[in-house]
Amino acid sequence: MALPLTYNWRNLFVRKLSTSLTFAVVTIIVAVLSILLSFAAGINESLRSTGNPANIIVLRTGATAESTSIINQAEANRVLQAPNIAQDANGRAMVSQELCAQTTLPRKDVRGIANVAVRGVDDIAFILHKEVRLTEGRMFEPGKLEVIVGKAAQERYQHLGMGEVVPMGRSGDREYKVVGVFESNGSAMESEIWAARTNIMDSFRRQFVSSVVVQVKDASLAREAVGYIQGPAVRLKAKTETEYYEDLTSKTREIVILTSVLITLMGIGAVFAVANTMYAAVDSRRREIAMLRTIGFLRRSIITAFVLESLFICMSACLCGLVVAALVSGMIAKQDFLSDTTWTVLAYDLKMTPWTIGVALALAASVGVIGGLAPALRASRTRIIEALRKA
Amino acid sequence: MNLRLIYLYRNLTRNVRRTLLTCAAVGLPIMIYVLSMSVVHGVDKFLENSAKQLRIVVTQKTSIVNPLPQGHRRKIEALDPTQQRLTAVCGVQWIGGQRANDPTPLSLMAADHDSFIPAMPEYQLTPSEIEAWQKDRQAIIVGSGPAGQMGWKVGDRISIVPTLPPYRAMEFHVVSTAPDAPDNQSIFFRKDFLDEELKKDGFPEGLVSFFFVKCASKKDLDDFRQLIDTTFAGSLDETRSLDEKTFMNEFIAQQFDLPRNLAILSGLTVFVAIMAAMNTMSMNFRDRIAEMATLKSLGFSGGFAFSLIQTESLLLCSLGGLIGAMVPFILFTFTPAKDFQVPLIVTLVVEMSTCLKALGIAVFIGVVAGLWPSWLAMRMHVVRALRNLE
Repeated sequence: MALPLTYNWRNLFVRKLSTSLTFAVVTIIVAVLSILLSFAAGINESLRSTGNPANIIVLRTGATAESTSIINQAEANRVLQAPNIAQDANGRAMVSQELCAQTTLPRKDVRGIANVAVRGVDDIAFILHKEVRLTEGRMFEPGKLEVIVGKAAQERYQHLGMGEVVPMGRSGDREYKVVGVFESNGSAMESEIWAARTNIMDSFRRQFVSSVVVQVKDASLAREAVGYIQGPAVRLKAKTETEYYEDLTSKTREIVILTSVLITLMGIGAVFAVANTMYAAVDSRRREIAMLRTIGFLRRSIITAFVLESLFICMSACLCGLVVAALVSGMIAKQDFLSDTTWTVLAYDLKMTPWTIGVALALAASVGVIGGLAPALRASRTRIIEALRKA
Repeated sequence: MNLRLIYLYRNLTRNVRRTLLTCAAVGLPIMIYVLSMSVVHGVDKFLENSAKQLRIVVTQKTSIVNPLPQGHRRKIEALDPTQQRLTAVCGVQWIGGQRANDPTPLSLMAADHDSFIPAMPEYQLTPSEIEAWQKDRQAIIVGSGPAGQMGWKVGDRISIVPTLPPYRAMEFHVVSTAPDAPDNQSIFFRKDFLDEELKKDGFPEGLVSFFFVKCASKKDLDDFRQLIDTTFAGSLDETRSLDEKTFMNEFIAQQFDLPRNLAILSGLTVFVAIMAAMNTMSMNFRDRIAEMATLKSLGFSGGFAFSLIQTESLLLCSLGGLIGAMVPFILFTFTPAKDFQVPLIVTLVVEMSTCLKALGIAVFIGVVAGLWPSWLAMRMHVVRALRNLE
């Protein structure tokens, strides 16, 4: 027979100070964990949702990112010979030459600057990157100094409002007008500014492109095309877009490692704090426990009762911690970081994913069970006669 | 006095389990504090050196990624023909790199070899190292961080593939591992060698990512920082000049603002430790109400009761703090963990001063945690307390 839950519930309020201090410890730890994980989840999400497995991104061999890659016109033309290239409705080969430049813009919220990526593209780019779509305004007109800006970039950096003017170019003297805003399912491209390639080449005085993106007819044919491009015929580096952005997530792995180390340490600390409280709870209730045993409650029920009590504290603290984390993440949701591979900022939103919440619940549950188990076992071993006699 | 010591010892050993649990609950947050603050201090030390070196960093105005022409060096030098105020101008081109078949990014840079030594005195190269750097076109100075990681030693021939042109393996001769440099991540080789290699492959040469301008005084730094930007204003390659500390800070702030966020985190952990310790002390007190009342009824003063609980709390937390501070210190000073690299920023060095500060915080935690119970003990009404006992 199990003890009624109200028994545990009421007991929590007997030692208000102890319970609330333990509650606070677990709350803070859960909140910190969830916020740290939201960072990692946000970055992963923005990079993972970028990239189509049928798109192959071609870079200079040795370059690790578009911003460090230089491909000249002759080399770019050789890519056209790759097998399995898809064609658009007008029969054009789905090959997009893109130029990545950068411009420094002031941030909106805090003081400081951001190195924002500027992508020069031809109209075919919008067929290859079909997730890119205008949500406001219109497309830039080739030949005019006009740009469209990613939604994430617009939210974070100055000068990117509709109708505003962004100074760009090698000398920063070409004034581009913002004529549209685009979204791309929250991918990394939303951190960028896009304009006509010829304009960007001219303004930044670049006689080359950074990357060539090729779309193959089907993702399963990508291997063959990658092999051709890396082979003797072209001698450039090729990766599917999915792989390219996967590699950029290495930064997240560092955060996840750091997070795990800290959380393990904090989690162990929490176990000790909870165990301490529960031991005290057991010690002060020896007579009560002896009494319960006398009237027929099993050892098992006593163990369950105390573990449940510890779980009560931890799980309610966990919910509280998650709420705190959600509020904090909401306040600081708009983040970005300077990638050490691309040297441009990648915007991301803090995300409380189901996974984050799951990890937080699991942590709180294990802290509750581990912290409560030893005291509960001790309670179950109470010597009835002695405990009753002592009083 | 003796009695009190015995009493304290008995109190701590009375419930060994609780003492150990509390030590752990205080020690672990202290450990996190020590680790986080060590990273923060590493960054601070790095920035302090940047400030101390009185250097201006001149970058391209539109973006740090855009190169400046090499010719800017002569124009900057011409601003002070006496070379008394601007003592050295060193052009540096970041090209980054990796070893073949190893994705670890290396911070590879090419520097003007003639002005590198006066511009970067903190590298403290020995006369023979300087001679090797001046003579050998393929000379390279590897920071102690990557040198340790890759096992590179002075005299080694190494090969690095840059991520920028010429994009192919380049051979270098290690002339120094700069053990005393505050920036232990950077790798410098000679720019004349880079330009020569670029020319072979037909890539544009003579480009510079940024210039380090060494100034004689703080005033010169401020004056010339503005003067440089005005000199190039309106030209094809406008500049943005910052003092080196501000420049480095801009980078660090964009890399997750690690120092600030770790400082917040360590503040929170201290808070957690306070609550854990407070919990124990209030439990201890509750268990010993009868004892306290008896002591007071025997004629011990309220102050005695107060100090008894305070000292116990202090001892408990200091013990936890000592363990929490010593473990990372020993781990990162005497074991292989000492080569651990905090990505992009520093090698983690746990300094004694950080540990002492952590110990101070542990003492503080002890005082705060004991405050409420010891106050209660001091103010306790003897008769009421004894009457309430079962």
